[in-house]
Amino acid sequence: MNLIETDLVIIGGGGAGLRAAIAAAEHAPGLRIALVSKVVPMRSHTVAAEGGAAAVTRDDDTLASHFDDTVSGGDWLCDQDVVEYFVAHCAEEMVQLEHWGCPWSRKPDGHVNVRYFGGMKQQRTWFAADRTGFHILHTMFQTSLRYPSIRRFDEFFCADLIVEDGRVTGVLAIDIGTGDPTVLACGAVILCTGGAGRVYRQNTNAGTVTGEGMGMAYRHGVPLRDIEFMQWHPTALPGTGILITEACRGEGAILVNKDGYRYLQDYGLGPLDPWPRPKAMELGPRDRLSQAFWHEQRKGRTVETPGGPAVHLDLRHLGARKIHERLPLITEAARTFVGIDAVKEPIPVCPAVHYTMGGIPANVRCETPLPGLYAAGECASVGIHGANRLGSNSLAELVVFGKVAGERAAEYALNASRAPVAATTAQAERAMAPLRRLLEGNGERVATLRNAMRDAMEAGVGIYRSEEGLARACEQLAALRRRYAAGVHLDDRNRAYNTEWLTAIELGYMLDVAEAMAHSARARRESRGAHMRLDGFEARDDERFLRHSLAYYGGAAPPRIEHSAVTITRSPPRARVYGGAHDQPVLTP
Amino acid sequence: MTAERTITIECLRYNPETNAEPSYVVYRVPFTDDMSVLEGLQHIKDALDGSLTFRWSCRMAICGSCGMMLNGVPALSCSTFLRDYYPDGLRVEPLTHFPIVRDLVIDQTDFLRKLESVSPQLAPAQPKTIAEGPYRQTPAQMDAYYQYAQCINCLLCYAACPQYGLNSAFTGPAALALLHRYNADSRDDATAERMDVVNADVGVWGCTLVGYCSEVCPKGVDPARAINQNKINSTKDYFLHLLTPRKG
Amino acid sequence: MAYLHTHVRPMQGWWRRNPFYRRYMLREVTALFVAAYAVELLVGLVRLAQGRAAYEAWRAALATPPALAFHALTLAAFLYHAWTWLEVMPKTMPFVTVRDHRVSDRAIVVAGVTASVIASIALFVAVRLVIAP
Repeated sequence: MNLIETDLVIIGGGGAGLRAAIAAAEHAPGLRIALVSKVVPMRSHTVAAEGGAAAVTRDDDTLASHFDDTVSGGDWLCDQDVVEYFVAHCAEEMVQLEHWGCPWSRKPDGHVNVRYFGGMKQQRTWFAADRTGFHILHTMFQTSLRYPSIRRFDEFFCADLIVEDGRVTGVLAIDIGTGDPTVLACGAVILCTGGAGRVYRQNTNAGTVTGEGMGMAYRHGVPLRDIEFMQWHPTALPGTGILITEACRGEGAILVNKDGYRYLQDYGLGPLDPWPRPKAMELGPRDRLSQAFWHEQRKGRTVETPGGPAVHLDLRHLGARKIHERLPLITEAARTFVGIDAVKEPIPVCPAVHYTMGGIPANVRCETPLPGLYAAGECASVGIHGANRLGSNSLAELVVFGKVAGERAAEYALNASRAPVAATTAQAERAMAPLRRLLEGNGERVATLRNAMRDAMEAGVGIYRSEEGLARACEQLAALRRRYAAGVHLDDRNRAYNTEWLTAIELGYMLDVAEAMAHSARARRESRGAHMRLDGFEARDDERFLRHSLAYYGGAAPPRIEHSAVTITRSPPRARVYGGAHDQPVLTP
Repeated sequence: MTAERTITIECLRYNPETNAEPSYVVYRVPFTDDMSVLEGLQHIKDALDGSLTFRWSCRMAICGSCGMMLNGVPALSCSTFLRDYYPDGLRVEPLTHFPIVRDLVIDQTDFLRKLESVSPQLAPAQPKTIAEGPYRQTPAQMDAYYQYAQCINCLLCYAACPQYGLNSAFTGPAALALLHRYNADSRDDATAERMDVVNADVGVWGCTLVGYCSEVCPKGVDPARAINQNKINSTKDYFLHLLTPRKG
Repeated sequence: MAYLHTHVRPMQGWWRRNPFYRRYMLREVTALFVAAYAVELLVGLVRLAQGRAAYEAWRAALATPPALAFHALTLAAFLYHAWTWLEVMPKTMPFVTVRDHRVSDRAIVVAGVTASVIASIALFVAVRLVIAP
């Protein structure tokens, strides 16, 4: 067991992790910071984010408006005190990114441009063409190289947290290149490990988005909050799930079914004209759009493609110039992966799992229930997304709460009393033992169990849910967990760069998180945001369920589901309404 | 559903724990028209041989993980398709000019060092505070550096560059393109500080304009241009300092 | 990142592995022909200085069949050398913008080739009319 003695460990080198590292380095220059990632940071999934990051910018925009859009977008399941903090700090973070070099798209006069995004009343989404996540990630990665106190551990797979006397004292990681286990002894840990979308078959996520960060905390007694709320992005390429950004719709693209009909007008998002206008039709929130697709498919009005049923995203009326200038990445993706020229033909799209609203509960200081453990980014449930996330709030979340987590965790690490390294190392040895057994065991192939999990999730915990489907999913996942626990068969028994072993470790955590999702969904007997039911619980039930779900790990047994209060400040729950009239169309210049 | 076709994928394998030398292994993979090479490799790993090791992540040519040699040409496996290699089949090898760690995984640490060496941070002449807001930059000014900012660090250009293969001390295409990205950014003022890297024998002068780097770049970064236009700058800098010696 | 043991592949024969590299090597080899012809002209200059007889002997040597074959090869090499030089010329220049539009690499190459052809014809005509009518 290799030993690294450090002060602050940040797990995950994406947008949140890098921002936290830079913030910690600036806040506490003497602090030893370990940035540990299973991939080299510029491969982190932040790189694939396309559309933009929200921040109140225009003179005719207000923090109250961004707050309202976010809270209503989240169907009032948001912790409003955290949302207030969030909207007040987005703009300064966008400026910070610009100062670090981020090439935000500009207006002709040289000022930063902002565009409309789904569910937002005003134009406030900062964007860098349609590769915003790519530019944010590379900007922060290159900036982070300037801080000598940030020591990177690239391609180290974090396999478990070390918890002693009720607080986090270290991390067990595997040096992927050699297979050697390493314990990083520290005063505080920040989890920036991203979501868990890969538990589903059709998703926009990278292969790395497997949720073991959440899973680690979960197994150590930290509940997973609101984990049943999974966002389906309405426009992904059928089959692969490759993302076609919401920014298309922000620029004016429309969705039509197989009859060429703009079907969203049938689902409370109309009237059609004028177009584009905010919060209506194709600029409605993602949950509503994905749900509309589900209905269209039931009615037989979707188009059949080799990748499955789809509808058409039509950009043609935007013109070649705007398409190539504002949407180059998706134009290329459409051409490469489905052979479509977006200038001449509509792009086939369908919903795919995209974002994990829930996760590790974190307060406005990014503290989790476990002392010494902080969380930021998609792996955290800091309380801003509620039951449905608005597009462009996630990239903003990474930098706003990445900074908070970095500063707070650095403070904690500076003042924390440190556990004796020998005890931490011994604990790490114990944590390593089951992973060694996994390497040497026998059973079914990883892919067999993984595919079965995905099928169960797609069938039972999909866009629309029912008691019957959820109950079946819970059973299937319990059975899969038992099959996994009996051992897996690995063709690869080597140590050096054994990715099959790592996918087996990931699978264990994925099954745990998937089970938490299914049980939390079953316990929420209402429909709210992205969690929609067809079995008598079609309406929102604020009296019983304006509460967060908390899933507690039960070991071999299923998770125990509890509920906790939602913080309401300025915005009492009301009906969630989109569509409606407006004076005139408004286009991003 | 028409009958599935099968294609031969021949992979270079290497296991540092058991092999002295790399060797080829042939797999027969059933495929459909829309399957990428990456999906072919994933099928091998899931169903045929779980020990086949390769990097991948986003599946949409933006993360830069999946660079490999496909029939001797550097390419991203996620956005190249098996149908284009049918019926002859294809040979998959790790990116050339890098040491092999295992199977299709190469050692990228040298590149990471090169990336750091070009001071890839924005250094404005008069730094603004956050309260002062963003720097102004017109679309025309952004145009001057924008394409060089599209590099996804996929390393195909290093696999394409024989000068890097012959001498790995060469800073290389992507790193030098990134250097130029910052020099050409109107908000940056650190061009002078970066000249040592530019002027070095392993800087722009290590390039003989083979040009294959720009040919294989999946993002149109054109590193060959970034490097070779800086030969003019390097020459000017040389003569300038001949006439007016550098302070300090 | 640490690795147990990495394998380094040899570079021997690298230029044979890819048609792009073979064309590159051919381009580089044409420089030898350029150098050889420069030496030939230099020899001519020396012979000129040595007097009429030496110069005429040099001129006669240039007209022998092996010399003519060498010249044909050298001309082909020069043409390929010039073409590849013009082909990469855009890579050596910063962007050229004309009225807000960036001039494409293709346009730069076409302009270069056109200018070279016109200059060559003009030079040839001038020499024939003025120096050796």
